[in-house]
Amino acid sequence: MAYRDRGEPSRPAQTDRGANRVVLMRTLVLLGLFGLLTFIPLFGRLYAIQIRDHNFYQDKAIEQQTRDNAVAANRGKITASNGTVLAMSGTVYDVILSPKDFEAVQENWDKVFKNSEGRVLTEKKNYYPRPEAADVAAGLGAILGLDPEKVLDRLGKNSKYEVLSSRVEREVAEELWQFIRDNHLSNSVYTTPTSKRYYPYGSLASQVIGWVNWKNDNKGAYGMEALYEEDLAGETGRVVTAKNGDGKEMKFSFQDYYDAFDGNDLNLTIDNHIQYFCERILEKGIEMFDVQNGGFVIAMDPKTGAIKAWANSPTYDLNDPWAVTDPVMAQYLETVRNDPAAAEGAYGTALEESQNRQWRNKAMNDSYEPGSTFKSMVLAAALEEGVINENSTYYCPGYYVVGESRISCSKKDGHGSQTLAQAVANSCNPAFMMIGQALGAEKFYNYLEDFGFLEQTGIDMQGEGTSIVWKRNIFTAPSTQQNTYLATASFGQGFQATPIQLITAASAVINGGHLMQPYVMESITDAEGNILKQNEPTEVRQVISEETSRRCRTILEGVVDGGTGKRAYVPGYRIGGKTGSSETVESRRGEDRTIVSFLGFAPADDPQIVVLLAYDAPKPVSHGSNFTEDGYYISGGNMAALMAGELMDSILDYMDVEKSYTEAEQAMIDVTVPNLVGQTGQIGQEAAQNAGFTVRTVGEGETVTAQIPAGGAVIPSGSQIVLYLGQEKPADLVTVPDTRGRTAGEAKDLLAQHGLYLKVSGDSRYMSSSAVVASQSINVGTEVERGTVVTCMFADNTMVD
Amino acid sequence: MPKLKRDLTMEQQLARGPLDLPFLMLVVMLTVIGVIMVFSASYATAAHEGKSPMNYFYRQAIFAAAGIVIMYVVSKMNYQHFRWLSVIALGIGFLLLIAVLIPGIHTNRSDGVKRWIKGPGPIPDFQPSEVMKLAVILYFSARMSKRTSEKKRRYDIRIVTGRIFKALDDWGFMELVPYGLILLAIIVLMYFEPHMSGTILILIPAAAILYAGGVKLRWFAIGGGTVVALLTLIITQTTYMANRIHIWQDPWSDPGDKGFQIIQSLYAIGSGGLFGVGFGQGRQKQLFLPEAENDFIFSNVCEELGFIGAALILALFVLLIIRGYWIALHARDRFGALLVVGVTTLMAVQVFLNISVVTNFLPTTGVSLPFFSYGGTALMIQLVEMGIVLSVSRQVPAPKQG
Repeated sequence: MAYRDRGEPSRPAQTDRGANRVVLMRTLVLLGLFGLLTFIPLFGRLYAIQIRDHNFYQDKAIEQQTRDNAVAANRGKITASNGTVLAMSGTVYDVILSPKDFEAVQENWDKVFKNSEGRVLTEKKNYYPRPEAADVAAGLGAILGLDPEKVLDRLGKNSKYEVLSSRVEREVAEELWQFIRDNHLSNSVYTTPTSKRYYPYGSLASQVIGWVNWKNDNKGAYGMEALYEEDLAGETGRVVTAKNGDGKEMKFSFQDYYDAFDGNDLNLTIDNHIQYFCERILEKGIEMFDVQNGGFVIAMDPKTGAIKAWANSPTYDLNDPWAVTDPVMAQYLETVRNDPAAAEGAYGTALEESQNRQWRNKAMNDSYEPGSTFKSMVLAAALEEGVINENSTYYCPGYYVVGESRISCSKKDGHGSQTLAQAVANSCNPAFMMIGQALGAEKFYNYLEDFGFLEQTGIDMQGEGTSIVWKRNIFTAPSTQQNTYLATASFGQGFQATPIQLITAASAVINGGHLMQPYVMESITDAEGNILKQNEPTEVRQVISEETSRRCRTILEGVVDGGTGKRAYVPGYRIGGKTGSSETVESRRGEDRTIVSFLGFAPADDPQIVVLLAYDAPKPVSHGSNFTEDGYYISGGNMAALMAGELMDSILDYMDVEKSYTEAEQAMIDVTVPNLVGQTGQIGQEAAQNAGFTVRTVGEGETVTAQIPAGGAVIPSGSQIVLYLGQEKPADLVTVPDTRGRTAGEAKDLLAQHGLYLKVSGDSRYMSSSAVVASQSINVGTEVERGTVVTCMFADNTMVD
Repeated sequence: MPKLKRDLTMEQQLARGPLDLPFLMLVVMLTVIGVIMVFSASYATAAHEGKSPMNYFYRQAIFAAAGIVIMYVVSKMNYQHFRWLSVIALGIGFLLLIAVLIPGIHTNRSDGVKRWIKGPGPIPDFQPSEVMKLAVILYFSARMSKRTSEKKRRYDIRIVTGRIFKALDDWGFMELVPYGLILLAIIVLMYFEPHMSGTILILIPAAAILYAGGVKLRWFAIGGGTVVALLTLIITQTTYMANRIHIWQDPWSDPGDKGFQIIQSLYAIGSGGLFGVGFGQGRQKQLFLPEAENDFIFSNVCEELGFIGAALILALFVLLIIRGYWIALHARDRFGALLVVGVTTLMAVQVFLNISVVTNFLPTTGVSLPFFSYGGTALMIQLVEMGIVLSVSRQVPAPKQG
């Protein structure tokens, strides 16, 4: 107050001045307080929030201000060798509920359709009933298959994001969208698209293809889906859009694109037809032979190493990989679930074990003792080294003595004297121990190495197992113990190899000696079909000569042509192979676990396909028995070869391999009888003869009025057909004779005497003298029409491998 | 000092003195920046409400222009007239405070709070408490400035009451009674609105005037102690305040509801960083931050202009406040000094409370930011208050030469 006292002369100057000084001083205090002190902490706060914690708040703010929409890249397809799609991706939807927005929807309705007194303005334009929580919950529940009560609960939550349903199909989503529109729910219920993998063939080649785990960001979890994840997945794109507090996108204000790149297609060497044949035969055998541990089939192109089919059992549906559908495992799980004594969580553990078992690719992850199938490699090695030849002979007394141990043959009373071919056909263990001896441990081990039994094959699959083989110095050290190793190794026991190693080595034996690297990926192509990667057949090394390979093929063909593999015989096809009945660690402990297998290839002169088929642990009728409940002798020859024959027939037929019959076969080929009724006698007779039948005519008419058997019947060629000319066929019935115990020729003649026809089934080696009729389709003594076809089931139980 | 003219009284001559240029410049700068920031902060809300994006801006700009004209007119008035005008202002203030409680006069709000009087016709709604703030400052300054000249009351010390009054008067209590009664009446009336932040904004400048005017310090100690005790009681005994304190300490305990606004405010301020996201580029105003153009406009300022911009604006406020007190220190008389102290303190408290709230330095309370927050009548009354300060500044004597 610089300007003092003017105009107020009445006041005592002293008091006035004092008062002024008080005002002055106290105003200065206020200046200090409100002008300075109070604002210091505010600058501090601003600094703390804007500078120190800037990143924290900015991240939080950006999180709520932007919508980061992933633009899913389309995952590439997986196709079979012929282009058939085995795996593809489609769009499904997650259903999201925002209870807070639902509240806003209701509030908005109140604002629009209620006046200030709370009266509902039904007459207002575009009126619709108020969306009530209970109705919406009921509607959503019905569409999504949820409990309306639970939906209602979630509608009451104080949140903006409730996942109501995951991965609903488009049809459901469309129904939902309609419901959202009809009920004016706007953004309180919405869907977000996500990707789903479809496997059109369900369980086909499931362990090879593998699956993507939607619980883990749709990443490949097993098989090719996992191994080629990077190629298949593509690159997820993003659209980052600014949004406002109401969740509306503000495209004009901020938008950022990151393009999505679609994944590439994976084309497999797997042929879905051959794959199907393999799976069918695997399941059929498992059922027939009461197999406990499942099995596997690998089919491969021996020349290239390309995998044509790869079946495992137990298997599962790729569309629902968590479900256990294998009958044996499902039953086991059911037992655990219903077991009152089971520990807590036992079911969960059992379920997990079962799932892991079905997801496993046991034909590659696991190893086993290959058994007699391995003799193919021993044979090849010995022939290549020249230590044996086709003129070598072996005497089998039923056992072979190595050092102090006496190792017996599968045929206890011995095979007697045999040529090399016979020894192989008989799968004679003593003979092979002798061959192993002739080869010597050092060379034997060289071939073990050369055939790839010491290393992984390098197949492009996940988790290839390794073999369990002696170290070289242990195997080759000259001692009694080591002789035993060599002896057992000679017939494929005492060491373990993976099935893929075995079939790869076997391919080398028959394909001219080339050890090929097996592969499953044929090529990777982009969406336009441009090839980005391609697998070319890779030869690892030449193990034996072309000539040795040819000799092996001839000898191995003998296994099917009358040897232990004769059940794999298919008339018209030249199939070679080797049977095997592997001992296991368990069987040596006295448990019932034999792995029966068959290694087969065809055509024998120019192999185009090689298969390895194995069943793990057919269940004996009683502990220690050699027979299953249905009377099958537990051996590779009686089980695996039988199935392999049928499999080979399907595969070779599918592959359009021409059949060529021997004369004896020719006589027994099944031929369909042509329908000749209405033809002239002359033409009918010629047509029947051209089809391979003999003809007998009855009557004098011009045209064929009836025939036995009727057109369409399937009977062996060479059978007699009766044509009736101008007269009806006799209506009398004939009695079915007993053909059991007879050979094919005998049965055919016996039936012909009765005016009946033979159709053979069962053992394809029905032409051999040891195969006899086990059962017939029409019971003995039944009265049937003349010309009826009787199907006779042939069996031959004289073999062991 | 201008050349005196013979036909003007001295007071008339004084009123024609130059107004305080720094203060005027600060006021104009803040008003202009404030109006521009209203545009930035409000267009999203306006668009969302279906109005033109410029709606808020135009209205605020018109009031700002009118307000600056009125401020100039007020600054031309001889502030000595406010001595007697203050009584009328106080009367009108009380009338309005009573009126606002009458149904039909106040605006209808969903929460039942009665703070606003419906403006008839084109006149916008306004808060009577805004009028009362000014009225109290005017009246208290006028009364306080006459403190020393007031005739000492004589008490009959022969009777007991007389002796008690005498003692109280000696203690300095009796002179406080009229102020106390006025404030008490205001508190009671505003309790019924209710309007706590408004009450605070009346009480603190009033207290500042009493303090500067020379009221004995012990009464501030007693008053301050009472307020602290009452606050402690309310905080500990009522859940309403306890909840507010809880949310203040941890807004994330209820991020979707009670803590929502403050969290959004912090996001806005924090996003700004050093330089801000740029004028108009703030995203939090896009319906995230409630009241972005109003009480929480400073959050938007922080987001768009960054620490540098926010600190600069805060510094402008500080300069304005300091200059205000500077004018008070140099005022020609005590009335002028107290008047400016009251207005400046009001300004300081509003700025402090508002920025404290948006930065979560204090619990949330509804205080607008002078010159920035959207609201026509509030802005005009603020500019009238600035006009009063400028009017006082005209009579500040020039520093002695030599």
